[in-house]
Amino acid sequence: MNQIFSNIFNWVNHRLPIVNTFERHLSKHPVPKKVNFWYLFGALASVVLIIQIVSGIWLIMPYENTEEGAFASIEYIMRDVDYGWVIRYMHTTGASLFFAVVYLHMFRGLLYGSYQKPRELVWIFGCTIYLAMMAEGFLGYVLPYGQMSYWGAQVIISLFGAIPYVGESLELWVRGDYYISGITVSRFFALHVVALPLVLIALVFLHLVALHEVGAGNPEGVDIEEHLDDDGIPLDSVPFFPYKVLNALVGIGVFMTVFAIIMFFFPEGGGYFIEMANFEEANPLVTPEHIAPVWYYAPYYTMLRAVPDPLGGLIVMGSAVAIFFVVPWLDRSKVASIRYKGIYSKIALSMFAISFITLGYLGTVGVTEVRKTVSLICTVLYFAYFLLMPIYTKLETTKEVPNRL
Amino acid sequence: MNKKLKFFTCIVFLTIFTMNIDAAEGGPCKDYGDCDEFNYSLNDIESLQRGASTYLNYCYGCHSLQYSRWGRVATDLKIPEELFFDNLVFDNSIKAGDLMKGTMPKDDSADWFGVAPPDLTLVTRSKGDDWVYSYLRAYYEDSSKQYGVNNLVYPGTAMPNVLVDLQGSQKLVCKDVPVIGKNGGEKRDEAGNTITKEKCGYLKVAEGEGALSKDEFDSLIYDLTNFLVYVGEPAKAERERIGWYVIFFFVIFTALSSLLYREYQKDYH
Repeated sequence: MNQIFSNIFNWVNHRLPIVNTFERHLSKHPVPKKVNFWYLFGALASVVLIIQIVSGIWLIMPYENTEEGAFASIEYIMRDVDYGWVIRYMHTTGASLFFAVVYLHMFRGLLYGSYQKPRELVWIFGCTIYLAMMAEGFLGYVLPYGQMSYWGAQVIISLFGAIPYVGESLELWVRGDYYISGITVSRFFALHVVALPLVLIALVFLHLVALHEVGAGNPEGVDIEEHLDDDGIPLDSVPFFPYKVLNALVGIGVFMTVFAIIMFFFPEGGGYFIEMANFEEANPLVTPEHIAPVWYYAPYYTMLRAVPDPLGGLIVMGSAVAIFFVVPWLDRSKVASIRYKGIYSKIALSMFAISFITLGYLGTVGVTEVRKTVSLICTVLYFAYFLLMPIYTKLETTKEVPNRL
Repeated sequence: MNKKLKFFTCIVFLTIFTMNIDAAEGGPCKDYGDCDEFNYSLNDIESLQRGASTYLNYCYGCHSLQYSRWGRVATDLKIPEELFFDNLVFDNSIKAGDLMKGTMPKDDSADWFGVAPPDLTLVTRSKGDDWVYSYLRAYYEDSSKQYGVNNLVYPGTAMPNVLVDLQGSQKLVCKDVPVIGKNGGEKRDEAGNTITKEKCGYLKVAEGEGALSKDEFDSLIYDLTNFLVYVGEPAKAERERIGWYVIFFFVIFTALSSLLYREYQKDYH
């Protein structure tokens, strides 16, 4: 029996690089032996990606992508489909936690300089994933066709209208109709379930291949490739499997506990994960009292509102996302990790974090004069972190980075 | 305190500080002030049964529950189907699998009330159960309105006070209330008596008019709201029950994987 098995295995292995791939990316792939919890969020993001894909497939089955049927089909899933509510809440909780995890993952990158040479491409693929995720999230948010789906889509699509010359025709092209209708819903459905998932999976694949080519970073910013043993393996590394996998498993356990708490006890996330207005079917004749985006877009929405001119707002919002792409070339520091950077970097990063969270909060509440001013200040701080980076990272005195991890 | 901890505390405080600037905003219960808190009890089947009965007798004539099915309500509320259909369903052609589509034609009702009575399947989810519980108890007499009543929670509501026979009519009255000083305590004059000020906008039920006492009426509305919470998400009770098992599973999972990880960590520490 064993003989037959190994024969089959060998036959396949000669034609498909199973052992090679397993060794290269898992059992022999070296990872830094000392990292902290910040390094778990990448693994968690891939767990959520799988949750979203699997729950998504099951949601497609009973979902109806029409103007008349979309909202009712969600309630059908919640009531008449066996454990449909499990699948749906998994997907809604997953959507919010996907962004939470990715934001923390990105913050880790800024904290420990994960974008620095030679990991620029890893960072750029990551930023592209974030961009694709934002589009994916928006498209998915429209599908239940509640009040907030409708009016949120109205706001986002009308952003295209702010572009000079082509704006209006672009708006029409995106909607496929003169107003948001069943046509918009069904095309958003196609993009949400086929086009963007394909893009996302391809990008995640590239993100990982690029990462495995250059190796993972660490919170010290030490280059572990500089001290190798006789076999050419970094001395400060351990094999990915089983060490890193087991480490990730603990993180996944904690994360899934949080996931379950939200999913089973607070699925609406206090109105932040599923908004109350979205329990009313889309009604083009009634505008909700205030239109707020889901929390993960809120910081950018605040920037959009803070700038009085629509086109200006659009440019500010776009640049706020786009600026992440050039971070590897803005940072002129000799060291990677915040642990060895100077005081300016520490202040800049904290101000950035505070302004990002504040912008996020302001995006979920109504506008007042004071809030508008705070929004503007936070927007300036947000950009200052990036735009002044070449200056403060160059000027400040850094600490000596140790040789070994 | 170590340096890192201090640093993070600073960040947290700064964030909270900036968030709190200008935070005041009107509540969802409008003129009523803060909504009354509502704590659902979906395991109290009797309360749900009473709520269903109230709903079907007083509300269903105008308000459909279009995403909910008759048979599901009977099953979940543990009402034998025969009893349920004999006493609570007022149309012989209805089958257990039918949706609770309502009885009133939408166009006519829009003519009668100015606006078609909304479907209420999801009302506790879109407005909140606190809101529903407060709203149904916040009607008062107001001769300027079409049906002679208005509502503190939803000023200008198109719905007449359907439950007035049970509650008795309610009026807005003024009361002498203690003046609260800057320190949060009641203000007193030199003789030690509490200083009061007249404030208006309090609801008062006309005594002896309604069939129910105030407490009985409140508990009727409690049951009704509880039923609407159930209808809003029939799986809610099951969800909260299963949730504990799932959390338990992941806690054990975390503990075991953590032990295994520590064991393997010995290889390189």
